Amino acid sequence: MATPLLSVTDLQVGFATERGLLRAVDGVSFDLAEGQTLGIVGESGSGKSVTAKTLMNLLPSYARVEGSVMFDGRDVRAMAAERERHFWGVEMTMVFQDPMTSLNPVKKVGEQIAESLRVHLKRSRREARDDAGDLLQQVGIPEPKKRLTQYPHELSGGLRQRVVIAMALACSPRLLIADEPTTALDVTVQKHILDLLDELREERGMAMILITHDLGVVKGRADQIMVMYAGRTMEQADTATLFSEMRHPYTEALLETIPRVDMASHSRLVPIPGSPPDAVDLGQGCPFAERCRYCSASCLIDQPSLEQHRQGHACACHAPVGTDAGAAAHAANHETGVTPAGLDMGTFATAVGEKT
Amino acid sequence: MIVLARRLAQLVAVVLAVTFLAFTAMNTLGDPLFNVVGFVAAVDCDAVVAGEIEDISSQGGTTLGDCVVVAEAREEFHLNEPLPIRYGRWVGDLIRGDFGTSFKNRIPVSTVLADRLPKSLLLMGMAEVFAVALSVPWAIAAAYRANRAMDRASTIGAFGMLALPNFALGVILFYFFVVKWQIFPSRFEDDNLALRLKSLVLPALTLGMPLAATYFRLLRTDLITTLQEDFVVMAKAKGLSNRWIMFRHALRPSLFSMVTVFGLNTAALIGGALIVEQVFSIPGLGRALVEASIRDDYPVVLGATVVIATGFVIINFAVDLAYSYLDPRVRRES
Amino acid sequence: MDTPPQVDPAEQFGVVVARRLGFGFWIAAAWIIIIVTAAALAPWLPIADPNETGVGGRMDGPGWSNWFGTDSNGRDMFARTIWGARVSLIVGFFSVLLGICVGGTLGMIAGYFRGIVDRIISFSVFVLLAYPGLVLALLIVGLAGQTLPIVAMTLGIVAIAPIARLSRATTLAYSEREFVAAARVLGATDRRIMVRELLPNVLIPMGALTLLGMAITIVAEGGLAFLGLSVEEGFSWGKMIVLGSSPRTLREGPWVAMFPIGAMFVTVLALNFAGDRLREYFDVRELGIGAA
Repeated sequence: MATPLLSVTDLQVGFATERGLLRAVDGVSFDLAEGQTLGIVGESGSGKSVTAKTLMNLLPSYARVEGSVMFDGRDVRAMAAERERHFWGVEMTMVFQDPMTSLNPVKKVGEQIAESLRVHLKRSRREARDDAGDLLQQVGIPEPKKRLTQYPHELSGGLRQRVVIAMALACSPRLLIADEPTTALDVTVQKHILDLLDELREERGMAMILITHDLGVVKGRADQIMVMYAGRTMEQADTATLFSEMRHPYTEALLETIPRVDMASHSRLVPIPGSPPDAVDLGQGCPFAERCRYCSASCLIDQPSLEQHRQGHACACHAPVGTDAGAAAHAANHETGVTPAGLDMGTFATAVGEKT
Repeated sequence: MIVLARRLAQLVAVVLAVTFLAFTAMNTLGDPLFNVVGFVAAVDCDAVVAGEIEDISSQGGTTLGDCVVVAEAREEFHLNEPLPIRYGRWVGDLIRGDFGTSFKNRIPVSTVLADRLPKSLLLMGMAEVFAVALSVPWAIAAAYRANRAMDRASTIGAFGMLALPNFALGVILFYFFVVKWQIFPSRFEDDNLALRLKSLVLPALTLGMPLAATYFRLLRTDLITTLQEDFVVMAKAKGLSNRWIMFRHALRPSLFSMVTVFGLNTAALIGGALIVEQVFSIPGLGRALVEASIRDDYPVVLGATVVIATGFVIINFAVDLAYSYLDPRVRRES
Repeated sequence: MDTPPQVDPAEQFGVVVARRLGFGFWIAAAWIIIIVTAAALAPWLPIADPNETGVGGRMDGPGWSNWFGTDSNGRDMFARTIWGARVSLIVGFFSVLLGICVGGTLGMIAGYFRGIVDRIISFSVFVLLAYPGLVLALLIVGLAGQTLPIVAMTLGIVAIAPIARLSRATTLAYSEREFVAAARVLGATDRRIMVRELLPNVLIPMGALTLLGMAITIVAEGGLAFLGLSVEEGFSWGKMIVLGSSPRTLREGPWVAMFPIGAMFVTVLALNFAGDRLREYFDVRELGIGAA
């Protein structure tokens, strides 16, 4: 296999806070090949954004990072130390969640796009302006010349996000990281933006990391998916495998929160009970144990490590879905009516397929 | 355009109200006759004419002729007419450049103003230049090292500076730089521009340092806030250098508060100039106003007040315009 | 320019530190209490007579017999500094009081009733604000005379405009809130709403404003005194400073000016600090954040 474009190995990111070390990312690893899309899925606080920021060298100075990040064979973390300025924004770029706050409100849109071109590619003012106009056209903005002289507040949310994407693409990056690019937008606009990202990625042979809390978003658009929870990888596989053979209870639970067309009407959506854990005080055992219906006694004291189930499919669980251990644990909980962590099994009633 | 015309109309209305207030105050609280004729008016002319008072000199007048002067003055200066009409005449004179005559040397007030105003303007201009030149780099440096040693020390220093009244600061600077070390001249020297500027350094510093402290605090806080905005993170994600981000992204939006205060602070600037001129014996407009006040030289007081108040209103108006130009979001609404 | 700006980690993660008044506040408050008490009790304190000449030598430096030295007339500077506090503090306090009472009320009326009442009051305030403070004060004192009540009243009048503006803004902000609409629905009269609902909320920023305002008026009085336009009888810190700052006196005895400067500086610093702290403290409470 050729050298992957991006290779992250055992990434750990912690923040020194008053209350102790907050482990935002704890042992994340993945490889991304040229032109491929990786989907990172998780709730807020799962560490997905922090991972992205680590790659982009956007962490505050009180962050402690360990592990390695290699881009095309080069050590990204060493670059941060040396202040290599023409890497980020050129080879690796990022699109954030809220386009309104990502854009400088007092600067014209055209200027903000042209910036990267002038600073990194040394284009002249006029060249940069023309290129910016082209970019706006490529991202599907009507009347691009007119938009160049407008301010962010004069554009709608969808257009603004397109502008941000244009900004990110200005220097033809090889990797684009999109952190919840559609969460702040209207539902109707979301699909357009995601389609746009797909198109652009294909045209340019760009690799992409798509970060979201919604499994549905990555289903048709990612080549591989990584599910994160409390800073750790729970399950990692290529997309088809993940959906057909999901193993981690968290992945399964996530899938169940998505409404589907073929559901019986009035079926209840099953939310995941409880809330994400306190990242400073994680305790032992699996971080998801308290909210998991497959929880067994060992889950509470013994943290499961990420194990390769098959080539290209890893999972960190003691009682994965679809295994004997998993079925046994589930049945045991079903009988007692409560998990070893104290979770009432009744909360999982009336999902599709009558699972409890 | 319509908006501009309307604001100009507002400006004119305010200026008229301001001058009317001053005029009315002078002519109702003070004695209008006195304003015009001076000390002579202390004499009770009716009594003198009736022979009831023999010794006029004790009353402040010198000859019977003074009473004639008083009567003539009443006529000539239309003092028997109602206030609004007198105001109208006075404004008319004002527009033609006639501010009346000073009691002191019978010099036209306009001459006094023309002589004194430029020096005050030079002083205030220098003070603002010092203030901005000091505060902007200082604020940028402090915001960059937010909450570290340099920043904390600066914040405390600025706070302390603001607690020191400008006359106190002036006296302290005067003591060290004029009396003790004799670096700067002790009086205002007018021979050439260089000497003039040199004489104004200490007063401009006195006036400018508290301003610099205020600007510093505002700009630093705004810069720190702006630097935490998402678009700054975005700019970093684009790989732009910290210097570029600071000067091309963060600085302009952060300047708004400072610019607003620029205009608001003009009041403090003018008041401060009054005091600073006194401390350093600068023959400026402020000093003229104070001296005239003490001497009860009302034409000068009125003239100076009107110039100062009107100038102030105009400056605020200009600042408003500048503000709406700087912030494109405000521009739409205005 | 290598490392980006540092943000307080606690704020970054949404943990808001509970605001307490803090150690510094109490030190500032202590000074204020000391100086006010000393000034009030001045006639009964075991200090020299501030007007008596020849208590020490002429222009003696600070020493054991005269803690702050003596001035060119041999008067004890320490006693004078304490007695000077009286005028400064009295003028400072009463002018702010006048400003808040009149200005605060006017602002509240303008903000509550709006319409034509607001426009008249706002325009008048705007015109008053067109005069730089010191110039206005100068005008009034120059015309009306230089006694203690007049000086206090003058500074109070100067304070009216900015306070009215603040009070109006606060009232406007609050009268939009639901509790005012609720009171009106329940049939409360305008006056009742203003006094019972709005006033307590408007008073809170005013409280902090008193301290800050006093700092400003003390300095303003000092400025007036420096210009020779403060009280004729008696003396304040400002007057003492101007008496001590002729080139000759500065050369021979800088302490004559420096001690009143120091006293004014520390007092204003204390008032500013305490006022700032109070304002922050009430701000956080009002917004509902804070562990308190």
